[in-house]
Amino acid sequence: MRPTSAALRAARAHFTAPGNRRGLLVAFEGPDGSGKTTQRKLFKTWLQSEGYDVVTTKWNSSDLIKPIIKSRKSVRALSPEEFSLLHGADFRHRVEQVILPALWAGKLVIADRFLFTGLARDVARGLDLDWVLKLYEPLLWPDLVFYFAVSPATSGRRVTATRTPNFYEAGQDVTQVDDPVESYQRFIARVIREYESLALIFNMITVDAEQSIGEQHHLIRRLFLEGRQRPWSDWNADAVAEWLQQARNGAGR
Amino acid sequence: MTTKKARVPKAELIAVDGVDAAAVLADARAALGAPARGGISRWDASGVFQELAVADETAGAPSARTLLLLYAADLAFRLRWQIRPALAEGRTVVAAPYVETAMAFGRAAGLDPKWLTNLFRFAPRARTRRFVHSPRVRRKIKDGFVGFSCDRLAAVRTKQERLRMVDQTAALLRRRDR
Repeated sequence: MRPTSAALRAARAHFTAPGNRRGLLVAFEGPDGSGKTTQRKLFKTWLQSEGYDVVTTKWNSSDLIKPIIKSRKSVRALSPEEFSLLHGADFRHRVEQVILPALWAGKLVIADRFLFTGLARDVARGLDLDWVLKLYEPLLWPDLVFYFAVSPATSGRRVTATRTPNFYEAGQDVTQVDDPVESYQRFIARVIREYESLALIFNMITVDAEQSIGEQHHLIRRLFLEGRQRPWSDWNADAVAEWLQQARNGAGR
Repeated sequence: MTTKKARVPKAELIAVDGVDAAAVLADARAALGAPARGGISRWDASGVFQELAVADETAGAPSARTLLLLYAADLAFRLRWQIRPALAEGRTVVAAPYVETAMAFGRAAGLDPKWLTNLFRFAPRARTRRFVHSPRVRRKIKDGFVGFSCDRLAAVRTKQERLRMVDQTAALLRRRDR
């Protein structure tokens, strides 16, 4: 939806109004086994103790699309394109139903995985980065993105210590390797390579996820306190304005 | 000595687009001719929209962008399981609807044409494109992607808004047919 100039003005005015505690979006990214979820939980508890109203959103969790993806994953019926498009739909629905309403209300949103997960996994599956990135337009950039960096060996060791990776997590749809653990090792190496490129391109804050949990948590707190003062990114104006127009035109909110 | 070459069947992808699903299907059957020649690939072969139809209302109404991402996922399924295998066997496939219906719907919803073009970049070009401009009463446009989507869009609440979406989609398809 091409946003009207009135919607763009309203978006900018809302997020740049002086004196308001504006909504903040913080994304936690990284491969499986990098400890994101542990850090996300610690971070949320700390933010709440600091008086923030926190909303969490997880990858592939929209009430509308998640069941569709789940049923197809269970029968291993997804091609890389279908996998990518369905996760893109899930993400879009959460942006419209969860993330933007919370940001508009001045809340702090923690995204346990963001669109970079889609980019890294889809490109590792052989899809074109430009095609995938444009699926996510209009882009919504987080205020801060923490990238939890681990080696493929560490990721593999941590994931396989407690369970066997599932078919798509192990990338068995593209590696054609029967053993899920071996497939995971091959696939996660590709995913991490893509993540590392994305971390550079999109200026993510890299956290050495091989450090202790406590060290990582204190680093995240410090970087958040420094980063939260950043001005609102005008790159987000289109995404907010499109959502505002939808909200004004119709129901659903 | 001359040898008679085996007749190689001619593979062809025919796209039939329009807002009226029943009229699109009728035209697809006419375009195919003899059923032995090939088959028809229809909307929602993957069942994505069927599942969406039974989703709990509390999940929230989808936007046009979300519906189009789902349309593209369904089309990727149709290409993988119906269209490409049939073409590889030298058969004719009628895709009814194909890309144009979704593009017109997206444009009627105000989405950027560049985004729509990128979305369907994976779909091969049809050798023949047919457009169905149905004279049916607009209110009866209930089935198919356009009817389904207009009934579920977050941004379409009134009958007037629904008619406007159907009309605009139909008008954009007429323009593409020129």
